[in-house]
Amino acid sequence: MKNQLNIFRYTMMAVVCLSVVFLSVSCESAFEYELPEAGSIEDTSLPVAAFTYIPNAENFKTLEFNNLSTESIKYFWDFGGGNTSTDKDPSYTFVDGEGSYPVTLIAADGNDETDTLTMMVDVVDKFVPLPVTIFNGDFTDSQNDWKFTSFTGGTTSPFNSSSDGSWLNYDGTDNGSKTKGAKWTKSTSAGAYLSSNTRYAYQAIIVSPSNVERDVKYILEYEYAIKTPTEQAGVAPGGNRVISEILDGHFDDGADAVATTPLSQYVGDEVKGKTSFTLVEQEFTTNESGEVAIMIYAVTDVDLYVDNVKVYAAK
Amino acid sequence: MKYIKFLIVAITGFLFSSCDSDEFLNPLPDSAIVAETFFQSDADVLAGLIGIYDAVQGVNENTESSNARYNRGVQLEYLLTEHRSDNTRSKTLEGSRADFHRYIVEDDNIQSEDYWQSMYEIIFRANNVLKYVDNAEEANLNKYSAEAKFLRAYAYFNLVRLYGAVPLVTTVVGPTEKELLFTRVEESKVYEQIIADLQEGVQHLDDKHKSRASKAAAQGMLAKVYLTLPTPNYAGAKELCEAIIGTGNLELEENFRDVFYKELNNEIIFAIQYLSGNPDESQGFSSEFTSYKRQGRQDGLNIVNPNLAEDFIAYGGNRTAVSYAAFGDDADLAVPENAEVIKFLPDGSDISDSDLPTYGDSPANAGNDWIILRYSDVLLMHAEAIMEGQNTTEASAIDSYMKVRARAGFDAVDDRPNVLTIDDLLLERRVELAFENHRFFDLLRFGVAHDVLSAHAEEMGYTSYNMRRLILPIPAREINLSDGILTQNPQ
Repeated sequence: MKNQLNIFRYTMMAVVCLSVVFLSVSCESAFEYELPEAGSIEDTSLPVAAFTYIPNAENFKTLEFNNLSTESIKYFWDFGGGNTSTDKDPSYTFVDGEGSYPVTLIAADGNDETDTLTMMVDVVDKFVPLPVTIFNGDFTDSQNDWKFTSFTGGTTSPFNSSSDGSWLNYDGTDNGSKTKGAKWTKSTSAGAYLSSNTRYAYQAIIVSPSNVERDVKYILEYEYAIKTPTEQAGVAPGGNRVISEILDGHFDDGADAVATTPLSQYVGDEVKGKTSFTLVEQEFTTNESGEVAIMIYAVTDVDLYVDNVKVYAAK
Repeated sequence: MKYIKFLIVAITGFLFSSCDSDEFLNPLPDSAIVAETFFQSDADVLAGLIGIYDAVQGVNENTESSNARYNRGVQLEYLLTEHRSDNTRSKTLEGSRADFHRYIVEDDNIQSEDYWQSMYEIIFRANNVLKYVDNAEEANLNKYSAEAKFLRAYAYFNLVRLYGAVPLVTTVVGPTEKELLFTRVEESKVYEQIIADLQEGVQHLDDKHKSRASKAAAQGMLAKVYLTLPTPNYAGAKELCEAIIGTGNLELEENFRDVFYKELNNEIIFAIQYLSGNPDESQGFSSEFTSYKRQGRQDGLNIVNPNLAEDFIAYGGNRTAVSYAAFGDDADLAVPENAEVIKFLPDGSDISDSDLPTYGDSPANAGNDWIILRYSDVLLMHAEAIMEGQNTTEASAIDSYMKVRARAGFDAVDDRPNVLTIDDLLLERRVELAFENHRFFDLLRFGVAHDVLSAHAEEMGYTSYNMRRLILPIPAREINLSDGILTQNPQ
């Protein structure tokens, strides 16, 4: 009998334990939402969607968006045509180029409260060509910055330094007297007089490259003067003339440079006399690398002067 | 002993009568608002006015070392301005002071919180003086009130440029008036108030003081406000700058170093004064700018970026040698990596030996003034106002620009440009006013902040930079106190 009771007691204990476990499990679902909800307050800090955008420096069609939304953590962007993003600050390329496009931003907070903003964004081609600085463009520093590094079968000496340059300073103001310049003579000429003593002024520059979408145009500007027959006799075969070229690339060896076909060439043969300068504005279209070079030389029997070499973007 | 009864009565009576004073039986309750009884006379109003400057002056870090909000006032302003520009940085990456230069300031940043509170302390004290200003003598009334408004405008001008739209409080309000205290008011409204306040200063103040508000200070600050507006009032700014230049009271110090080491010199328009060695009236930033041989509790701050040193070397002229210095191995570099600001060296400093700089007896309690406005700033603003955001050939603009350049050792004729560009002017402001908390605001005003700072962040590897970082987050403490009225900036 004693043993029987003991068995009964264990059974009772097992039943009690099981029912406690069962009760506590069923309680859990009954009280599940009660605690967090008690005393909770309404979300009054609602999201406000806002953004601004900046065109990419390299590609005007790509806009970089800056998210200025407040009280929000999740974002959904719609750029039209099924293109979307969930980044905070996405970039998007409008392949159709210039125009006005609607962009929608939905900003959401942790409670999935949302705010939607649709704004027209403008894709505008605001291309600004690279500025070019010519070193020693007014030749005050003699031959410096105008030499090839080497010249197979020729000379790296670019021209004769001269004190008979233009009366104008490099910034266009009148100097009141002659400035320094560059000079070519019969013995330093090319053309019929081509020799190992022929001199070429050379300077490598970097310009904004042209591409399929855009031709970028620059202007090579300089002044030249050729002595009149009364000042000095003699006419070279083909006429006394200065030749300015824009070369396709940068060159170390002058021989390679002379052998290439230039992007642009101009021949100046205005004979007005010493210190009476003629202004040249030679327009050229840049290549795809943006690496071009200026080369200036002359074919002349008489003294020929060049001054104030500049390169700037065409309007 | 038969008279003992009389004696007792007499003594008791005496005791009663001696107790019978108003003060003893009616003490001023601790909870009474002193302000309401304090302002009785002209002298009291003046004392209240001087108290506003105390709020601007701030509490020296080395005196009260608590990191909690302690009204550091203008003393930590360089963290919110120079550190967030491309000029300077913190040498260490530890602590909340090192957040500014990396553009990772969050809404719980203690220094940002402190600055916000400091500015509103100025505003509170100014509003308080304005409430009781009627107790002043009739003759001083306009002047006192213009002076308080000048300081209020100063605080709001800083707040609106750093935090955007801010609560605009122009009366004394209690802590329960939350709508008034915490509702953000759009920037244009804040600027309207600033302009109105400064215009009173222009009208009623005189040029007697340099360490207190003056007519010239109000004109100069108003000119800067006009230039800062979304649609700048260039004509107004030009007129104000010309009025300052026209008085002839001010001139550039011949020696650039004297600007910083001759207190209240001819070039100073408005400066906050400190007293060397006095813990309550001194400043801590001079020691905070040390790094090679550290002084004070905080140091290695406002370290000069190489990018600024390069601009100094190219365009600084004779200002370079007196603006920053490099010590130890950095002294041998062409462009130092870690140079220190030397515009505010404590009393008795000797930095002639670059391996062994010394900083006098009390570097942590330095007395160097903090310059808020000086004449070369006005000259450059004059050029800026004439230029109207364009490059110029205007002689008067180039004249003002060249005055500043010529003092720096450049030739007034040979170095004079035919065309003054916006970039030239910004660069000149950078090297002339470096470490004087102008650069960040200049970048904003010239509209190039994002361009310059995004490139700077990329160069320095500060990957957290984005456009939102140009405005500081509103301190979370204020938002929490506001019961949801104060809203946060885009994060």
